[in-house]
Amino acid sequence: MAQSGRRDAPELPDFSLLKRLARDQLIYLLEQLPGRKDLFIDADLMSPLDRIANVTTLKQHEVDKLYKVELKPIVSTADQLCFLIRPRIQTVKWISDVVNLDKAAGRLRRYKIIFTPQKFYACEAVLEEQGVFGDVTCDEWAFYLLPLDDDIISLELPEFFRENFLEGDQRWVGAAGGALRLIHSLYGPFSKVYGIGQCAKMVYESWREQVEDGEQKTQQPEIGNVFLIDRDVDFITPLCSQVVYEGLVDDIFRIKCGSVEFGPEVTSSDKSIKVMLNSQDKVFNEIRNEHFSNVFGFLSQKARNLQTAYDKRRGMDIQQMKAFVSEELKGLKQEHRLLSLHIGASECIMKKKTKQDFQELLKTEHSLLEGFEVRECVSFIEEHINRQISMIDSLRLLCLLSLTENGLLPKDYRSLKAQYLQSYGIEHLLTFSNLKQMGLLVEQQPGETLTVMESKVGKLVNDKTAGKLTDAFSSLAKKSNFRALSKRLVLIPKSGEEYDLRVPRDMAYIFSGAYVPLSCKLIEQVLERDGWTGLEEITRMLNGHEFAVSGGANGTESRIKADSQRIVLVMFLGGCTYSEISALRFLGRERGYKFIVVTTAITNSGRLLEALLDNHP
Amino acid sequence: VVWIYHKSQKADEYLREIKEQGLLAEAVRQCVEAAGHEQEAETQKTLLRVKPLVCTSIKNLAHSLFSLSISVSAASFGKCFLSNFPPELFVIMCRDLRVLNAVRDYTVGIPLTHTQFKQMTVQVLIDRLVYRKLYPLAIEICRYLKTPEYQGVSRVLKHWACCKVQQKEESDEVIARTISLKLGEAAGISYSEIATKAYECGRTELAIKLLEFEPRSGEQVPLLLKMKRSQLALSKAIESGDTDLVYTVVTYLKNEMNRGDFFMTLRNQPVALSLYRQFCKHQEQDTLKDLFNQDDDHQELGNFYVKASYKEKRLEARVAHLQSAVDEYNKAKNEFAAKTTEEEMRLLRFQKKLEEEKGESLVGFSLHDTLRTLLAVGLHKHAEQLYKDFKVPDKRFWWLKLTALAEKEDWEELEKFAKSKKSPIGYLPFVEVCVKHHNKYEAKKYVSRVTPEQKVKAHLAVGDMEGAADAAIERRNEGEISTILSRCSPTTDRALVERLNRAKSTAAKK
Repeated sequence: MAQSGRRDAPELPDFSLLKRLARDQLIYLLEQLPGRKDLFIDADLMSPLDRIANVTTLKQHEVDKLYKVELKPIVSTADQLCFLIRPRIQTVKWISDVVNLDKAAGRLRRYKIIFTPQKFYACEAVLEEQGVFGDVTCDEWAFYLLPLDDDIISLELPEFFRENFLEGDQRWVGAAGGALRLIHSLYGPFSKVYGIGQCAKMVYESWREQVEDGEQKTQQPEIGNVFLIDRDVDFITPLCSQVVYEGLVDDIFRIKCGSVEFGPEVTSSDKSIKVMLNSQDKVFNEIRNEHFSNVFGFLSQKARNLQTAYDKRRGMDIQQMKAFVSEELKGLKQEHRLLSLHIGASECIMKKKTKQDFQELLKTEHSLLEGFEVRECVSFIEEHINRQISMIDSLRLLCLLSLTENGLLPKDYRSLKAQYLQSYGIEHLLTFSNLKQMGLLVEQQPGETLTVMESKVGKLVNDKTAGKLTDAFSSLAKKSNFRALSKRLVLIPKSGEEYDLRVPRDMAYIFSGAYVPLSCKLIEQVLERDGWTGLEEITRMLNGHEFAVSGGANGTESRIKADSQRIVLVMFLGGCTYSEISALRFLGRERGYKFIVVTTAITNSGRLLEALLDNHP
Repeated sequence: VVWIYHKSQKADEYLREIKEQGLLAEAVRQCVEAAGHEQEAETQKTLLRVKPLVCTSIKNLAHSLFSLSISVSAASFGKCFLSNFPPELFVIMCRDLRVLNAVRDYTVGIPLTHTQFKQMTVQVLIDRLVYRKLYPLAIEICRYLKTPEYQGVSRVLKHWACCKVQQKEESDEVIARTISLKLGEAAGISYSEIATKAYECGRTELAIKLLEFEPRSGEQVPLLLKMKRSQLALSKAIESGDTDLVYTVVTYLKNEMNRGDFFMTLRNQPVALSLYRQFCKHQEQDTLKDLFNQDDDHQELGNFYVKASYKEKRLEARVAHLQSAVDEYNKAKNEFAAKTTEEEMRLLRFQKKLEEEKGESLVGFSLHDTLRTLLAVGLHKHAEQLYKDFKVPDKRFWWLKLTALAEKEDWEELEKFAKSKKSPIGYLPFVEVCVKHHNKYEAKKYVSRVTPEQKVKAHLAVGDMEGAADAAIERRNEGEISTILSRCSPTTDRALVERLNRAKSTAAKK
């Protein structure tokens, strides 16, 4: 990437503190159950836990054996059992069964449940119902935030998305508020908080409520601004195919908790290799934000440089050689290893993505975004479904069609759904019902063109006397209004102009210059305007719930370091994609900001849609 | 030491003597302490005066304490005998004495010694005053000693309010207003505690009024439940945004109310309803069904049955569930879902029959997968039947058959199929599928049948550059010519490249 933009970007705060805090608390909790014990860990907590405390650390605190929670009868012979779990009813029920089984067998053991990041009343209710409340001790491990990289922090709560936006279950709001409070107490005070979305507002309020319990801030702030955004404000962006390297790797190999497992087709051996993907990896760090078309050029340049560095050996005398081996060789070898892995990965991506199918898929996506040749797109989607090419991709295209066109024509809606069911089975009736509820795949209301819709929404907004505004909205809320939004915010760059992907001129580069991600554009606009003034039209179409609050209103303005004002924490509620992170990094370079992304989980089109499937009991 | 104050000739001598012995600091300290043990205000003053006299550095401090009853005499007398005596001791003592003197007043009548006071702490003293209902004095002392509001003023105010709510002669309205006026700006007031008190005194209405002032809705909930205002408790819990609290109320309601009322209550509270639904999904499937029934939510009921159907292993049970789903979808006026579900039942029966006849595992497959399996094992007749019965779109069927035949490399059958009637998907797919299975020979058979628009693509797919060039030049399509050019290598296809370039320039001229 051309190192354009401002050079005086501030330094990011050090987030390793979060890890240390989490580790210390975990150790403290483990020591609350003295003596040897077996530890059962929820499957999806294993990778995050590994980042905080490895097996050696756990063993040092008298953990004997480690098991994955599998909801099956256990084989442990230990006298003390410790369960480290997410607060889920199923898991707690399973633990109750374990305890009850022991009781029936006359076996005495001590049990401890550590809920993370917090326990829920419903879990305790289950323990009570199953008659084991007195047999177990419960604790909370306030492990809210896992730093995945210098600028990415994850709550590792993928279920947040489905539970909050589909099931209407707001139990994770408190956890998100707690996460914000933790960041605030360590890196705050924030001087300004912006947000959009109903959940964002609730998280903000939850955080405020938690802070009011008497915390006075006197330290120098490290993070000045905060932006909270709901995933349902922008569904289009995560549903588009990713073409930036890090996003592509995630789409194809699935990055898990900041690391990826490259299979034999990448490593060109018979083994799989796990690689951490973060800024520590020098090769990766330089290509992660690049459009894929540049990656190969970069990698081959890098390979040549590496060769030159190796070649220095020739003509060295013994002394020089010794110095070379002890100082440089290790670094070069490491770089060599990483380079060959990334070249392998790129080749694998090339094989999959430069095929004609993928090119046509991209073309369709771009046409949909532009609203151009929509009929052709519909037939493309139809063929895609008919040929059973990919369950998720077909669904993705259907959703994109619905979102960009404000719903499908009634005829298309029925026929495409019917064909999809023929391809993938009737279970997807439930999937469609979920998608409809989310507003992702809906039928156009007959007789309601876009303009009618807009004026209707407008009337509702202007009619301030209508007390139950939100209720009235909910029927209209599911409209995406994408066309109008894209016009107002100029999300689609003029077609026909050459777009040099090597020297990007705006955030659209992450989608080959076809589309500026709505979520990131909103963030840019709000930071530029220092609030929502002038964006009333936009927020109205996004179903409102926007806010901007000044935090440090106690006359300390002058004391606040100017640097912290340019550090912006963006919290995505419901997940964000690597492409969005790349776009924000680009925006940061252009405007002299540094963005820190906090997300409930890293997502992509696959994960997002899989969360909404209902095809298994 | 006290003599110092008496301005006598001797004082100076004494002073010098003490100073020489290095005991001046000790002397001052003793004086300050002595003042503490003195009951008489006058003597206290005398003793304390020693300090400013010897220590001008704290002269200003002493002045600021002028407002205290312990007035300080002219500091002009003072000479700097001792400059580094820590002022805190003196200041604290002055403050303590002021408080002590206040409570020793005959109207209050708590004759505490300084030692007793130190022993029992300010907190306890305040408590004692509160028990004697000496609220104003307690508040004054708190403010004077700068006790943090939470422990000081607010606590006293809370006690006052708790006492106030017991005054039976005043109306609920008046009491609530007085309390809110007085407590309005104080930090850390728990209205819910006051309300609890009111409730304990049997004033439920007042309690509810007071709860209105509680800013944290979460705090209101337990009391509301206790007062059996469960509906209100539920809305307050939801307002608090704390799902645990909502859940507490929901479980409480579940045990308190009969099922019908309980469901009705939930119905008006979407947040609580979805929370309870989540719980039921894991714990009580049947309750979930009842919930939907209560709401006449036929759509959800239909979904519920569909979900239940694929937990069943037996075909009859599965079909029965689906039938219930159809009924519900019909009630929900969701024709689409009803129709598809009916088709699914038909498909299941068909699969079962075939499974028994042919021994192919089919039950549970989608229509598409069923067709593919049938074609793959060569049950073409059955596939045809399915295709007709279920009105499978032609395009899908052609694609399916094409891929199935190519996979089996049954080229003869494929050719027959291609000729059976006009292909609804065109013939380019035939070319491409053959190429995919590495059979260029077969692929070439179909090139001629491809539409003119796709001809170039077809020729290129089979690697026929000349053919592609002919087609493109015939169509005078610049874009296509360029595509072919990009595939040519300048060394081997020189003649072709020249021809194409010529055609390109004429096409461009047009």
